[in-house]
Amino acid sequence: MTAFLRFEIIRSLRNVRFLIFIIGFPVLLYLIYAKQHGISQGLTVAALLMVSMAVWSGMGSAMFATGPQLARERQSGWMRQLRVSPISAPGWFGAKLIQGILLIIPGFALLIALGFGYGHVHLSAGRVGTIAVILVLGTIPFCVLGLVIGLVFDGQTAQVAQMLIMFLLAFLGGIFIQWSSLPRAMQYIGDALPSYHLGQLAWNAAAGRALRIGDMAVLAAWAAGLGLIAVWRWRQESVA
Amino acid sequence: MTFHKPGAAGPAVAFRDVVKVYHPDIRALDHVSFDIHAGETVALLGPNGAGKSTAIDTMLGLRAPTGGEVRILGGAPAAAVAAGRIGGMLQTGGLPEGAKVGELVDLFRRLYHDDRSTGELLALAGIADLADRRVEQLSGGQTQRARFALALAGHPELLFLDEPTAALDVGARRKFWRSVATISAHGTTVLFATHYLEEADANASRILVVNHGRIVADGTPAQIKSYTATRTLQFTTPSPDPAELLRLPGVNDVLVDGDAVTVRTGDADETLPALYALGRRLRAMEVGGGGLEESLIALTSGDGAGADQRTTERVG
Repeated sequence: MTAFLRFEIIRSLRNVRFLIFIIGFPVLLYLIYAKQHGISQGLTVAALLMVSMAVWSGMGSAMFATGPQLARERQSGWMRQLRVSPISAPGWFGAKLIQGILLIIPGFALLIALGFGYGHVHLSAGRVGTIAVILVLGTIPFCVLGLVIGLVFDGQTAQVAQMLIMFLLAFLGGIFIQWSSLPRAMQYIGDALPSYHLGQLAWNAAAGRALRIGDMAVLAAWAAGLGLIAVWRWRQESVA
Repeated sequence: MTFHKPGAAGPAVAFRDVVKVYHPDIRALDHVSFDIHAGETVALLGPNGAGKSTAIDTMLGLRAPTGGEVRILGGAPAAAVAAGRIGGMLQTGGLPEGAKVGELVDLFRRLYHDDRSTGELLALAGIADLADRRVEQLSGGQTQRARFALALAGHPELLFLDEPTAALDVGARRKFWRSVATISAHGTTVLFATHYLEEADANASRILVVNHGRIVADGTPAQIKSYTATRTLQFTTPSPDPAELLRLPGVNDVLVDGDAVTVRTGDADETLPALYALGRRLRAMEVGGGGLEESLIALTSGDGAGADQRTTERVG
């Protein structure tokens, strides 16, 4: 499994589209908006945006580990080739999960560095560490979401579906604009999404507030629900 | 690393009354039974859609049979796959973008715990010079050989090749079959699917002819080729004499039913003039194929190099 993990990580780091989306895009947004003044959710704009962009980068990293790449590789036959090799389905998914988590690191490190250096953010090492742990565990439902996208869509549509879903999650979940400034109807939708609750956990950690069990429960429920869909689709395909 | 005694548990492949139904009207495999023994090199020969790929998919555990039993190296296909005892080169086995050929082969030799170096495996597949090439930059033939290198990882006891030469030119095809012969000489059982009789003839020790989901013939290449030449002559003649008819050149057997006669011949061009030379009154003469016509005459009519025929091949 470690051989497979290393292989997949090297391959992802060559994927320019992945790097732009996961690192380039949040860094650019940060450079544009971090210098705005104001306080929100008990954080300066520079700190809030640093955390938001880290959440976006983490969500993307997790979804890119599976997502459109899986859809393309199901279509090209590479997944069939892997299935006749000794790697097991749980081993494969385990590697994908770890890949998604490890690839959070470059974006996260860059955003923390920018936040501290460029945005003059002051967060204790403990708070940064808590945010990192939240991102590692909190991106699991997004990794499973990528798996579902990769199993449901074909190679052509999965890319578009993934972009759309990511922007919707970020927008309605309050990652791009403040959730409280969204229309009421959108807030209701956003409140049900895993992105909102991952954001809540990360912002609360940054501001030194208590983490809510409710946010964690919603993320766990999403992971479990999507997991069931993924297992059902996977079985459907493997015994066809 | 585990070592397995090849063929210790009976046949390498055992098909028992295997049925695969995709759709109530489509029987991809229709009560198929056969054994493949360790060390054999067997061709599954049949036209597109005959059931070759379905048969290989069930042997690799990629599809579950609707009925019957498939056993691989004495156990379930999934067990043989998980133990890394089989290698497969599938008909649609695209390579993952962003990877270099060397990385890919290195991954597979690690997955299969192969102690040979990446360079060795690349050389075996004839692509030692492509280690640093990205898979997106490979030609069709190079892709095919990279996939062959993956199939060789782990010294498989059983190697499945589904239409392995589809993207290769004549020279590359020859080199490819030479590598397969080397591997089979080291004891690997090889099963390959093809729709070219001459490819099966040149490279297999045994041919299974598949059509409409059934095994329609099973024999050595020489036996199978003799079937393809077989023709059936049907006619009526007053009081036929079987002994006389059996003496005609090329005749294999004669069936007489009143005035109606059926003669099977391996060389209709010799038999027919000799038959008329007997001076008998022959009526309602019909010349037909030898029973394998649908599956085999179609295969032998092409010359095997027809590129258009190859590109229209699809999973079947």
